[in-house]
Amino acid sequence: MNSKSVILTSMLVQMKQTFSRNMFKFTLFIGPILHTIILGEMYRNSEQDSFIAYAVLGAGLLNLWTCIAFSSAGDINRERYSNTLSIIFSTPADFRLILLGKILGNTVLALGSFLLTVIFATVFYRNPIFVNNWPLLIAAFLLTVLAFIIISIFVAYLLTLSRKTEIYMNCLDIPFALICGFVFPIDNLPQFIRFISYLFPPTWAVRLLRMAVVETSYGFWENFIPLIITMVVFSILTAWLYRIIFKQTKILGTLEMA
Amino acid sequence: MPAIEVKDLKRDYIVKEGSFVRKKKSTIQAVKGISFTVEKGEIFGLLGQNGAGKTTTIKMLITMLAPTSGVCKVLGFDTFGQEKMIRNRINFVFGGELGVYRRLSARDNLKYFANLYKIPLSIRDKRINELLDLVELSDKADLRTETYSKGMIQRVQIARGLLNNPEVLFLDEPTIGLDPLGAEMLRKTIIDINSRGTTILLTTHNMYEADKLCGRIAIIKEGEFLALDSPMAIKAKAAGETALVIEISENPIGLKDKIAALDGVSAVTLDTIEDFFRLRISCTTNGDLQERIISLVTPRSIKSLKNEEITLEDAYIKLVRGEEK
Repeated sequence: MNSKSVILTSMLVQMKQTFSRNMFKFTLFIGPILHTIILGEMYRNSEQDSFIAYAVLGAGLLNLWTCIAFSSAGDINRERYSNTLSIIFSTPADFRLILLGKILGNTVLALGSFLLTVIFATVFYRNPIFVNNWPLLIAAFLLTVLAFIIISIFVAYLLTLSRKTEIYMNCLDIPFALICGFVFPIDNLPQFIRFISYLFPPTWAVRLLRMAVVETSYGFWENFIPLIITMVVFSILTAWLYRIIFKQTKILGTLEMA
Repeated sequence: MPAIEVKDLKRDYIVKEGSFVRKKKSTIQAVKGISFTVEKGEIFGLLGQNGAGKTTTIKMLITMLAPTSGVCKVLGFDTFGQEKMIRNRINFVFGGELGVYRRLSARDNLKYFANLYKIPLSIRDKRINELLDLVELSDKADLRTETYSKGMIQRVQIARGLLNNPEVLFLDEPTIGLDPLGAEMLRKTIIDINSRGTTILLTTHNMYEADKLCGRIAIIKEGEFLALDSPMAIKAKAAGETALVIEISENPIGLKDKIAALDGVSAVTLDTIEDFFRLRISCTTNGDLQERIISLVTPRSIKSLKNEEITLEDAYIKLVRGEEK
């Protein structure tokens, strides 16, 4: 009961805090429009399938990623600057649950942003969006969100260990979106980069998501199995990382500004 | 079993300096092997200059930082490794404007932290209302704390520190930013919660506060204790000292420095009070020192002259300066 309460209240506090920041409002409301227009123009003359798969879904995913991971990473820094990070860390509540609540708070807001992207793309480009397989779309979307959450938690843990959060956040935002094939197929990437792409669950989740809306050359299982494996691996890594950060943040004193 | 047990406690920080290419690591010893115990129900003061190691010591005690070596126990449990046994039984307040969610109201801040401190929902709101009353923020409890003054934020922090009725409360310069009335309210609160059995460890730069509240005091300088005793005993360490108070109508240039340079003078403070100046000189009672001090002042400008009992501040300055000499 108390674990639920910690997650829920952390989530609500996060949403209240985040929603009152103008920067996040921009990411939430203006970001979808900008991303959709930029990607929409890039894919305007391509086939209908590519437009939906990379312009519409791409813009939505880009925004979903920015809101969940980028903002969650930024929140670690904001909490560090406001001295609340060390305080919440030193309360009796499990820090993992607090962080999960915060990331879920950003996720809920991000879902709104994703929806806004799809609506804007449909209206602005007068391009009806067809879905091949609704059950797959719903399942793939949930898995995509889960994959983003897993990566966000992993990154948030890492960022508690370092004060150079801004540098890592900027490395994380656009490069990660490109590597995981949010806005173009990863087949366009050089082979050695593709090996990096394969390591991350969002790469596989996004491919499944695309399968639900357009015809693809790849099958369900060849994406689903790697997705589950990479999610499990990242979950194990995250659990292991927590054991380290719980000790190291206290040894290194990185929860506060120097 | 003492509430706090510290033995040969040390804490080092690794500091990185230099450019991206030529980065140098160096170690700074913030706490250099201090030892003390605080009994249950005691108010213990930790005094020292900025950077002396007070906050680092508190952070180790509240499970926020790991000690480099030594024993650091609260309520019989190690603060590094047995955090779960400690955290719901203690709380802490840091001075300053940080440490609250600025875009939330005071009430929302307290509700959130009440959840993190596992306060049952059935008593949560009642306790929050009581604490808001105590820190006199009830009428502004629903405004965002970003609209608050420094003192009001400090009061939110104090309320947060009392949410879980802690057995041990750590207060790190809690009256910073409070106006005299707010500071007096906090002192009364400290006495009140201590009378109900809460052990308190307090750091402050306000010697009057430390003298009034603390049963025992440790003076820390550069990570080491200079003294650990009752305020009265610490004042006795400055035996043979007096505080000469001279009120003068004019303040010649360099007077304060000339007096401070005399042998036997440990501290000089100069305050402007309406249309006159008040010199407070901590000095020895030996020989003709007082006459030499008075001779530096223009005789017709002296409005009054008296010897006062030495205060904790005088004793503190003597101890800290004595170490410097």
